[in-house]
Amino acid sequence: MSSEEPRVPAVADATNQAEGLSAIEIARKYDLTPKIMPYLDRHLIFHLLAFLRDQQFYPAEELLQNTYDLLEPTNMTDYLMDLWKQIHGKEDIDIPREFLLKREKVMQEWSALQDETAKITGLLENPDVISNFRSDKMQNLQFLKDNHGVTDDMIDALLKYGQAAYSRGSYDQASDILYSFRILSTDSDKVNQATWGKLACEILTVNWEGAMEEIQKIKEAIDTKPFLNPTAQLQQRTWLIHWALFPLFNHEAARDTILELFFSPNFINTIQTSCPWVLRYLVAAVITSKKNSGSSRAAAIQQKQFKDLVRVVRQELYEYSDPITEFIAALHLDFDFEEAQKKLGEAEEVIRSDFFLQVFCATEQSEGVEPKNAFVESARHLISEAYCRIHQRIDITDLSQRLNLSQDDGEKWIVNLIKDTRVDAKIDYKNGTVIMNHPPQSVYQQVIEKTKGGFFRTQVLHAAVTR
Amino acid sequence: MATSRFFHGGLGDSESSSSEEDYSEEEEELEEDAQAEDESDESESTEDDDGDDSDDDDDGELEDGNAGESQNKRNLFTRDVVDEDDSDEDGLRRIVKNKKDKRFEEIETSIRLIENAEKINDWFVISQEFDKLNKLVTKAGHGDVVPKPYIKAVADLEDFMNETLVKEKTAPKKMNATNAKALNSIKQRLKRNNRQYEQEISQYRADKENYLLEPEIEDIPAPQKPTFERAEPESVDDDSGAYSIVTRGGKAVQLTKESIFKHLKVIIEARGKKNTDRTEQIRTMEKLLELAQTPYQKIRVLVALISTRYDLSFGVLSYMATDQWKAAEIELNNLLQVLEENPSWVIVENGDEWDDDEKAPPTPAPGEIFKISGSIISFVDRLDDELTKSLQNIDPHTTEYVERLGDEAALYKIIVRSQMYFERLSGNKKASSIGDNLNRTVMRRVEHLYYKPLAVIETIEEASYTLLTSESSSDVLRSDLRKENPATIVQSLCSHLYKNDSTILRTRAMLCHIYHLALRENFYKSRDMFLMSHLQENIHNADITTQILYNRTLVQVGLCAFRNSLISEAQSCLQEILGSGRVKEHLAQGVGPQSRYSTITPEQERLEKQRQLPFHMHINLELLEAAYLTCSMLLEIPAMAAAGSSPDMRKKVISKTFRRMLEFHERNVFPGPPENTRDHVFQAANALAAGDWKKSCDLIQAIKIWDLLPNSESLKQMLSVRIQEEGLRTYIFTYAPFYDVLSLTRLSEMFDLEERKVAALVSKMIAHDEIAAALDQINKTLVFRKGVEVSRLQTLALALSDKASGLIELNERVFEQKAQSGAVGGLQENTTRPGGGGRGGKPRGEFSGNSGGGNRGRGGGRGRGGRNVQFAGERSTTKS
Repeated sequence: MSSEEPRVPAVADATNQAEGLSAIEIARKYDLTPKIMPYLDRHLIFHLLAFLRDQQFYPAEELLQNTYDLLEPTNMTDYLMDLWKQIHGKEDIDIPREFLLKREKVMQEWSALQDETAKITGLLENPDVISNFRSDKMQNLQFLKDNHGVTDDMIDALLKYGQAAYSRGSYDQASDILYSFRILSTDSDKVNQATWGKLACEILTVNWEGAMEEIQKIKEAIDTKPFLNPTAQLQQRTWLIHWALFPLFNHEAARDTILELFFSPNFINTIQTSCPWVLRYLVAAVITSKKNSGSSRAAAIQQKQFKDLVRVVRQELYEYSDPITEFIAALHLDFDFEEAQKKLGEAEEVIRSDFFLQVFCATEQSEGVEPKNAFVESARHLISEAYCRIHQRIDITDLSQRLNLSQDDGEKWIVNLIKDTRVDAKIDYKNGTVIMNHPPQSVYQQVIEKTKGGFFRTQVLHAAVTR
Repeated sequence: MATSRFFHGGLGDSESSSSEEDYSEEEEELEEDAQAEDESDESESTEDDDGDDSDDDDDGELEDGNAGESQNKRNLFTRDVVDEDDSDEDGLRRIVKNKKDKRFEEIETSIRLIENAEKINDWFVISQEFDKLNKLVTKAGHGDVVPKPYIKAVADLEDFMNETLVKEKTAPKKMNATNAKALNSIKQRLKRNNRQYEQEISQYRADKENYLLEPEIEDIPAPQKPTFERAEPESVDDDSGAYSIVTRGGKAVQLTKESIFKHLKVIIEARGKKNTDRTEQIRTMEKLLELAQTPYQKIRVLVALISTRYDLSFGVLSYMATDQWKAAEIELNNLLQVLEENPSWVIVENGDEWDDDEKAPPTPAPGEIFKISGSIISFVDRLDDELTKSLQNIDPHTTEYVERLGDEAALYKIIVRSQMYFERLSGNKKASSIGDNLNRTVMRRVEHLYYKPLAVIETIEEASYTLLTSESSSDVLRSDLRKENPATIVQSLCSHLYKNDSTILRTRAMLCHIYHLALRENFYKSRDMFLMSHLQENIHNADITTQILYNRTLVQVGLCAFRNSLISEAQSCLQEILGSGRVKEHLAQGVGPQSRYSTITPEQERLEKQRQLPFHMHINLELLEAAYLTCSMLLEIPAMAAAGSSPDMRKKVISKTFRRMLEFHERNVFPGPPENTRDHVFQAANALAAGDWKKSCDLIQAIKIWDLLPNSESLKQMLSVRIQEEGLRTYIFTYAPFYDVLSLTRLSEMFDLEERKVAALVSKMIAHDEIAAALDQINKTLVFRKGVEVSRLQTLALALSDKASGLIELNERVFEQKAQSGAVGGLQENTTRPGGGGRGGKPRGEFSGNSGGGNRGRGGGRGRGGRNVQFAGERSTTKS
């Protein structure tokens, strides 16, 4: 993995406009890119840098240079040459000899590997061979060895071939090659490498279903494999967490699975220990996923996750905080609504400048109207929910103000809120107030709630024990 | 000269003192006075020597320091007696003469008996007669001369004894036991005895035939004739100093560069034996040191000298005298300097013993390394321990203590220096492995630093740095020292230990590091380190001093939390130690009150005394108590108010100690004005419970001990804010049943808090379901809901359902752990640990006890004496 650090310019550009300054400052202050980078692959970081270039927080030349440095060890020679030209500002400048040499060398290696693996790839494309495959890896390997003269070296060459393909930037191809490698290889270490490689390929080719599969595989590998030193295990988990951020925010269907993964004890510990900044994404993901709660079971899970989230945020407040986590802290730890509102304003800025979170505003930005931010929407929801829980009578004007809405919008908002959720409330139009009704939970109801699942759970447990 | 002989005549056994009565009968009447003086003197010295002869362990040792001095005094005294004698009348002198003759006769008889006994090899008789002979000579010898026959006899006896000893070795048959014993004792005594008469004996040996024939008159000045180079010329004219000088002077003759090793060998062989005079040895060695020239000689002498100095004091409770300590410190410094200047000599524990002392000392070729056996680390350890011991024993309120404490700088310098020495050794491949010596020195260093404030560390570092540079030549290591920043020095030293050590030193280093961090206000860092170290799980297996360090660290972390206004964290840290009621014992800051049910043996008590920390390392107990009680008050009073009268809630006690003391305090019929810290806190607690936060605030602020803390003003500020908040909560809890609606503005006036703050506090209480109420935004009021009171049966039903679900959760968790660890062999109650293998590197969230559901158990249990108490304060989170 790359240990590349972007050279963040120390002095703010003097040409920055006065009003734009604060937004950029916030964006810079809470820019997580440098923290995330050590845990990502070069090819993944490339996209982060590309995003930063679009955002123009940092001088473009520096970022260009950074991108160039980043990609230098890879085999994407053509792209590198383009970059080099860009850096030096002229299209027609002479390309240094090293580039050409390198390109030649890469091409040579590439064709050598191609030759080496030609036989095995050929075999794998042969339907006769495929039809003879069983579920047992050893058997397959034996079969290939016996009937087609495949050696272990050839299989290992396949892995190298896959790496080379990845390094060239042909991710689809790499993904296929690694897939075939995994079918054949019995070396668990190498299979692991291949899995990581495949995950990167899937992410880069925006194949989220594939990526999710790989994430599951890696997770199992990390959990089951006996690690000699726990640090290595921790590091692998940390990587996985960072890589999983890509599907988390780009693939709606994967969100619940990944959140579940993140909230499992091992991973939440990893987040707390080695990468507390991921909490920002966790908060964002949990808040935004609140809306689409389907069944009551899902709602229960979400509630639990939210509780866990608040707890973790509280615990890590001294180690990591940004406007997004502070928002949660203000709302659910201090119950300071004014503070929460302020933080929400800052958080909006942060979200706009974050590679992963920008999806929340990007989708609707094209409409041209006031950019609606999914996160901000959900956060408002959260505020009003908390507000209603505590209050008995609320002034609509005041509430709309808190939610950054006009009076009419606020009223509409509240109506929707009452409609959507199970809040027991009425609007007193004359006085301009909302009246909440908090029926005390009956004791009987409480007891029933608490003991509801008990019998079933005990039965399950009993069955499991007797087995 | 004469006096000294007189004194030494008394060497004999006490047995002769009774026989002495027989022959002195006649003179008694004549020189009663003199004799009386003599007698007493005699018996005194006999006793002394007896002590030396037989088991001289403790008394002899203590006496030794003064021995030289008292001898001189005695000599002065006895000489006076002699002078008196001389100035007596003529008649008296005549009779004395007669007495002398008589004595000589007796001496001759004794000698004859000895000679006879020699023939039949009867050592028992020889021994007896030898004692008698010595007595007689002493009696007779209040003149100037030793009778020549005596010299002859002892010389012959020595020869014969040596012969016998040689024969004995080869003889097929051994002597019988009594004989052998007598021989042995005479061997020792004779050697010592003859040492005084060395000159005479050598004269005799030189001319055996004529020696006796020489007229006595001529003999008289003989001993005073300077037949050899005297070290001190004043011995001639100053009789009083004669004794010590004879022996010392006599030695000085032989103390030459060539014979250094011979003497050393003798001294080293005598080490640990009974009746070796260590002061004397030290003096000899000091002389030898002056003579020593080559580094090898210096090193050898210094090593022997330092260990002899340490031998001076032993026993558990006694400590080294300050002057000896200082001398040892200087010598150790010299030793290190010699080693620094001569890198080809090293001292290692498994060095080669250079047996052949006669040979010229080896000269190593440049670049080669010659090993001398010895142990720098044990010297440093001992020096350190002795200082600690003396600090333990000195009354801390005297200036002596402060002066002694000043020596720590010198000690620290030595530790640093020896660390550099070991670093040099470890860098050198040729030197054999130095084991954990380096780690041990580094640990010593850490232990001297960790409890000190930054400024002091800086000074002490600075001092050791300047001292070192001024003293010795420039060295590469010297520059290394400079770069150590006082703020990070403990950190860097500790990380050295983390990397290179895996024993108890590492544990201690961790604790010291945590302590240091806590002292410097890094609460979160120190807490995280504490939890990640997982020490609380196995600290009760550690040795007691480490446990004490653990307790100290825990308490310090608690105080740090308190200073950073983290009340509940502080409370849970301090609870463990302060709640036990045996604070003094747990922190080794004095022996606690004796428990009624267990009696402590003197042995235990002695051990406990040994473990006590010197005063300057103490953590102020009163401050601790004040912090603990204040924290408990801030947590307990609202909790008690919230619990109201419901018996179930009453059971949830945060601090038992606090409750007990509060009850005790409330039982007082006439509470007077507060006198001590405890009174202040409890009266404040009562005021707080009654809703009178101002009074409570005043009482807490009046506690004087806060001034010990840095920036006590801001601390007091923090405390009063906390009291306001908790007062508000207590008020609402207490009076909720009596109100329908409460105005927030009124509340904010009552408790002098911002309205926003009041709203936040109340909201929090509502959100946590602590009160059944809601806010009315328009009227800015708090509206209480009615009809939420539950009956007793309902409460019980709720509690039961809670417990049932808790039980299910617990079972599920246990099963999960079992399944994970792959050992599903029946569900056992109380499976404590989850499959540890499946966890990341800094496993923070492990459970170490089966705490109830929902608790992330960040702390893990910690046990001292089997108790398991949760450490970190995640209580409030589990509630939510």
